[in-house]
Amino acid sequence: MDILAALAAGFAVALTPLNLTLAAIGSFLGTLIGALPGLGPVNGVAILIPLAFALKLEPSSALIMLTCIYYGAMYGGRISSIMLNIPGDEPAIMTTLDGYPMARAGKAAQALGISAMASFIGATLATVGLTLFAPLLAKAAIHFGPSDYFALYVMAFATVGGVVGVNPVKTLFAAFLGLMLATVGLDPGTGTARYTFGSFHLYDGFDPIVAIVGLFAISEVLVYFETLHKSSDGMVKMGRAIPRLREVLQGLTAAFRGSAIGFVCGILPGAGASLGAFVSYTAEKQLSNKDGTFGKGDPRGIAAPEAGNNAAAGGALIPMLTLGVPGSGTTAVMLALLISLNIQPGPLLFTREPDLVWGLIAALYLANLVLLILNIPMVGLFTRLLSLPQWLLMPFVVMVSFIGIYSISHSVFDMFVMVGFGVLGYVLRKFDFPIVPVVLGLLLGADMENNLRRALSISGGDFSILVNSPIALGIYALTLAMLALAFYMARKAKHGPDVSD
Amino acid sequence: MMNRLLGMAFLAMSILYGLAARDYKASFGDPLGPAAFPMIIAIPAALLSLAMVLRPDPDPQWERGAPMLKQGAALAILLGYVALLEPLGFPLSTMLGTALLARLVGTRWSYAAIAGISISLLLFFLFDRVLGLPLPAFPDFMS
Repeated sequence: MDILAALAAGFAVALTPLNLTLAAIGSFLGTLIGALPGLGPVNGVAILIPLAFALKLEPSSALIMLTCIYYGAMYGGRISSIMLNIPGDEPAIMTTLDGYPMARAGKAAQALGISAMASFIGATLATVGLTLFAPLLAKAAIHFGPSDYFALYVMAFATVGGVVGVNPVKTLFAAFLGLMLATVGLDPGTGTARYTFGSFHLYDGFDPIVAIVGLFAISEVLVYFETLHKSSDGMVKMGRAIPRLREVLQGLTAAFRGSAIGFVCGILPGAGASLGAFVSYTAEKQLSNKDGTFGKGDPRGIAAPEAGNNAAAGGALIPMLTLGVPGSGTTAVMLALLISLNIQPGPLLFTREPDLVWGLIAALYLANLVLLILNIPMVGLFTRLLSLPQWLLMPFVVMVSFIGIYSISHSVFDMFVMVGFGVLGYVLRKFDFPIVPVVLGLLLGADMENNLRRALSISGGDFSILVNSPIALGIYALTLAMLALAFYMARKAKHGPDVSD
Repeated sequence: MMNRLLGMAFLAMSILYGLAARDYKASFGDPLGPAAFPMIIAIPAALLSLAMVLRPDPDPQWERGAPMLKQGAALAILLGYVALLEPLGFPLSTMLGTALLARLVGTRWSYAAIAGISISLLLFFLFDRVLGLPLPAFPDFMS
């Protein structure tokens, strides 16, 4: 009953005209960004964070708008996957496998309808899960001490990006690279300047938002020019705009299964939406691929990963809000936003800022409804945007990124840093390093170090405190199991049959 | 080979990073001090880089010729844009940067000019006037 009362209070926050408008705008912009090829939720949220600052929004309103952008981009990601065979971002890759063949067979509207329905189911179930489990986890997390948090950060890094095909050595190194970047600047404990090379510009360290926009948006520009000369297959014809209900319902049970799997993947710190989509698709394929229709336009092959990635997106909010440990790239960006709004996520957030948390959760229910409306009857509008010429779109996105960074600090130095991170991001992507662990490292490095130092202050310098608590031990055991699984899967992917066919 | 070289570069970086941390001393504060955490993360980072050197992945495909030139040009435009933002003011530098990027994507000069003018004015109006975010409006020598 507590939860219902809290949720009702949340709806009171979310239903103010301002927040309702922001939720609608956020959903619309998010879908738009998600639909554009090469621009995923991480980019979208990172580029639009400055907008939230520029509008001088209250923290709760800013968070509502950006989370709606996040959900919207998850919905929109499927549009370019289905219509162009170009996933807007990593989680949408699985949707191309059956979505594009189906669209080529003249059933684009049906594919878009099924995926919108599946997205709605996944996102709504995940929001219900968030409502039920987040307060529980927040209550449990109050008992976490500094050494437990340290263990939690270790787990987030060890499990991040556990998607098959990525070399785990590179994933782990990416996390350490992020941690190294996080130590640049004045040390929070003692005020010692570290790795600043005498430049006072670096005393504040690297702003995570600057790094994120560089790593994702600017590196995308460099990738874009590399692939420019390769012709794409072109956009498929839309056909009738609104699908029949019977057709949309074909993937319904697959969507429910995908939601459950995706939600669990989303909660794991560091796992995120890509894993949710991947596991949902593979599980559904193993369960339902009796006639070999998967990969040729099976409705269940669209419903499962779409429900999976949207459910994971919702699930990823749980560790971000309750523990301050994001479960995906986008929640990492939102964590950066919260920190810059002077809000420290964690177990106390639920007792200290109930309006913010519950307003956000209520807004998510509303956003899902808005998104369903935007994505079934109005999907034609977004598909038309895909035919906008690149010479207009690409420079526009670049310039918005630059304005965003300039508006945060009015510092040209930060803009150079952003371009630098763009080059770094390009090199890392070229060599198959995942980017998200770098962001997580940069974002969580300071907290990780502070918790380590706090734990050792308590014990007077005795390192055994790190493994003295049962909570920390449990987290380490889980981490080891997941690491073993990641290395096993990577080995299997290398030697065994190709699982991604 | 490229993977191996990158691994070596990361290995050198991790070692230098760890060694540099030894100089960070504080006379007060907690038992760990500012040097310990960088040294703790330098060790696994170095080991992971070593693993990349010893067991390298297959090399990535690099595009040579025109795509590479375009990437270089794009980077030059981005850096030039940042360098000229304050000297030239937002509308003028954005107009230039946008037009050059649009041209680089492969459209005609006339379309590129349209993109430059429309995007720079739209963004300036939107952010500076509507959202109240002060952007440098004029070149240095005019203001």
